[in-house]
Amino acid sequence: MKFLCVPCDSPMKLQTVAPPEGGSLSVVYSCPECGYEMAMLTNPFETQLVQSLGVRIGPGTSEGASSGASSKCPFPAMMPATEGAPAVTRDAEPIAVRWTSGAEARLANIPEFVRPMARTGIERFARERGALEVDEKILDAARDFFGM
Amino acid sequence: MKRYHDIVGDGGSRVLEQVAEQRARVTDGLAGVRHLVAVGSGKGGVGKSTLTLQLAGALRARGLRIAILDADFNGPSQARMAGVQEALFVPGSHKVALPRTTNGIAVFSMGSMIPESEALEFESASHGESHTWRATREFALLGEILRSFEWGSLDLLMFDLPPGAERTVQYAEYLGPRTSFVLVTIPSEVARGVVARSVAALSKGPNRVLGYVENMSGYYCRDCNAIKPLFDSHDQPAPGQRRLEIPCLGTVPFDPELARHCDRGIPLAELPDTPVGRALEHVAQQLLDSLESTPEFPR
Repeated sequence: MKFLCVPCDSPMKLQTVAPPEGGSLSVVYSCPECGYEMAMLTNPFETQLVQSLGVRIGPGTSEGASSGASSKCPFPAMMPATEGAPAVTRDAEPIAVRWTSGAEARLANIPEFVRPMARTGIERFARERGALEVDEKILDAARDFFGM
Repeated sequence: MKRYHDIVGDGGSRVLEQVAEQRARVTDGLAGVRHLVAVGSGKGGVGKSTLTLQLAGALRARGLRIAILDADFNGPSQARMAGVQEALFVPGSHKVALPRTTNGIAVFSMGSMIPESEALEFESASHGESHTWRATREFALLGEILRSFEWGSLDLLMFDLPPGAERTVQYAEYLGPRTSFVLVTIPSEVARGVVARSVAALSKGPNRVLGYVENMSGYYCRDCNAIKPLFDSHDQPAPGQRRLEIPCLGTVPFDPELARHCDRGIPLAELPDTPVGRALEHVAQQLLDSLESTPEFPR
């Protein structure tokens, strides 16, 4: 979708994406010639369709942003409670396990959708070995253990 | 006034560019894979997953480097059958390692992540309207899996497809012309008719259909040590019935013992020499010959 400032016959530029509310995004575009601003307000269908493509919308989506190591979520604010949440709880896990920054960086390589489940499993693997911190050694041990 | 194609870019959202980048990373991730083979049917319950795993096992025994991607995200069965139900997805420095079977087949299956008592669910901004976006989301997930996991150097990556003739074509389009297809049917006119629709749909695209496998082609009675008919006619379609105009890679009888092995995640190699084992060996060789007899698509 593109937006054109009709009086200037100039393509409008994306400026900001407001936090979503009720499944709707507010995306502000402005004309680089006259400065006129307009907002595109998506309905939940439109929001979800774009989200389903696995892309990110926002002024920070310059080259490579969608493949960034931090988060691949297109609308992070719309995905609360998935990151780090125990989406699959097979056992009671009362003891908190810390993650080192190096291990967290590697965890970001896992597709976002399965990341919470992978996190839960790795933490269980660590606990079973008496570790309360997941570091890169624990990750390597898990790879070895599962013959990867 | 400018029209759509007069404007370069889209003002900053880069939706099309991001989708193109995703596709490029999928291509890069599969660059080390010699052959991509999708095992589909159109019909459900014909044994696609069982054949995928057992053919992979037969080819693995020949020394090939094999991986399976269980693309049936909503009804994954490879995790249980391959014995990787409790396996973890462990991240490496760049990509995610794949669980392996005891005989060395790498397997991705959502069944390793989601217990059988739970359904696959996605977060949604559009509640109650999943029919409008669900397929798109599942293919986006497939793309994430293809570019995030360590497929590495493989001789063969097999896709275990979900049922649905339309899904078979969607996977063909998504995976591109490098992917060849093996279709699975059973000796019933209903199943053969659905598979014929898949053949017709695939014939409109560039993907090569290597042939079909007739599964459950009779059943192996251990008491009699004989193959007995499971359906009225398990050899050839009766006059007037539909024929599949693609090569037959072989027929595989139903063996209750094989079904028990699959439920328990035990490889076929642990079954003694049986008619079903010999049939699978034959199909595996046919599949291999078919793959090796044609030039590879550029990667």
